[in-house]
Amino acid sequence: MAIGWLSRLAAATPPPVFAAVGPGLLPATERLLARPTLRRCGSPREAAILLVAGTIPEPAGAALDRVHDQLPHPRASFDWDGGGDAEAAIGALWRGLLGGGASEPDRLPDEPPNSWRGEGDHGQGGEGMMGGVPYGRPMAMTGDDLRDGLSLDLYTARIGPFAPMLPPGLQLSATLQGDLVVTAAVARPPFEQPAEADAPEACAARLLRLLGLGGDADRLLRGGRPRGLGALAAIPTGLAADAQGGDARARLRAWLGGEMVDVVCPDPGDLLVGLEWHEATLALASFPPSALRRATQAAEAA
Amino acid sequence: MNLLIVVAVAVIAGVALTLAAHGGARPAPPGTAPQALPFLGGGTPDTHAWQRFHFRAYSMTLLFVAFEMEMMFMYPWAVVFVAEGLKALAEMGMFLAILSIGILYGWREGVFRWQ
Repeated sequence: MAIGWLSRLAAATPPPVFAAVGPGLLPATERLLARPTLRRCGSPREAAILLVAGTIPEPAGAALDRVHDQLPHPRASFDWDGGGDAEAAIGALWRGLLGGGASEPDRLPDEPPNSWRGEGDHGQGGEGMMGGVPYGRPMAMTGDDLRDGLSLDLYTARIGPFAPMLPPGLQLSATLQGDLVVTAAVARPPFEQPAEADAPEACAARLLRLLGLGGDADRLLRGGRPRGLGALAAIPTGLAADAQGGDARARLRAWLGGEMVDVVCPDPGDLLVGLEWHEATLALASFPPSALRRATQAAEAA
Repeated sequence: MNLLIVVAVAVIAGVALTLAAHGGARPAPPGTAPQALPFLGGGTPDTHAWQRFHFRAYSMTLLFVAFEMEMMFMYPWAVVFVAEGLKALAEMGMFLAILSIGILYGWREGVFRWQ
């Protein structure tokens, strides 16, 4: 049986895992996924196992269901409380899936965001080119560009709380024009994490991963030294300046040198406007999780 | 004649194989609505992501085409000019006039304002 042989071969590879990290378990999850026996996925589309670390608070429950439903079949989810042998449990789940085990059904109902079938001239759900809700969603409309005032389309979305490029729990309500952040506001602050999450190697690893140096990030988390050269030069100077005169590059340099960074993070809404999306993710990751959480809570209280 | 038979057989075999592949393949089942949602880490979008954006390299492309095309034709033209004289000069004048419309358009679009 060719399929049986292929499944056995596939089951020997590291299981592809997408992590939805809850409060308190960021450092433990990062250490778990830095192991070579698990494959960390940047998108649920790539993964077969959804790792749910910790207890996800209720406001984020619907978001977790959405992420769960975006995993392709066959899929399984694994609730982890931070203890036990998670690696072995995930491996067993993966082998079970490839051995023909049952895939989890969708948690959300199979309904489009807006009803559209049969409406409009061609049954596409809209009027003309841009009106109505073609295929269930309105079309993007124009607004003035920050850079040169050209009138271009705006894309407004809530991003997070399980976006892998943002701190876990942080939900940004952002308007983008192409890749440029036009407005940004914190819809929900990041989850609380233990002091361990502010450790220099953990913070540096997060930035290195965003720069595409996943191997170096894993090496740092396992207690090694990064090998990649030029990571510092890849971060623009003056990005995410703090009140003490440092910027993202200076903080990464300090973290790579093994120093703790204690800074006050500015209001994330003001910090991100005018940056490109990737710069914005670097700017957020260049603050220790505790500083970012304090800043978002202060912004919410204000 | 032999070649004709070979071509005919190849065409018939090709059509038959295409039809067989098309008929034999089942269409993939459509994904469910939650699976069709774009991945925003659990967040939701307000609109479709299909949008008009500014291709900012276009002004450079315009300049490149305008000036590079000029130079590309000037080298062979220089050879012809020696033999043809005034006629070749008039032809190049027409060509440059057309290209300079592109340059004028680029000027209006602010191509020459370096920022």
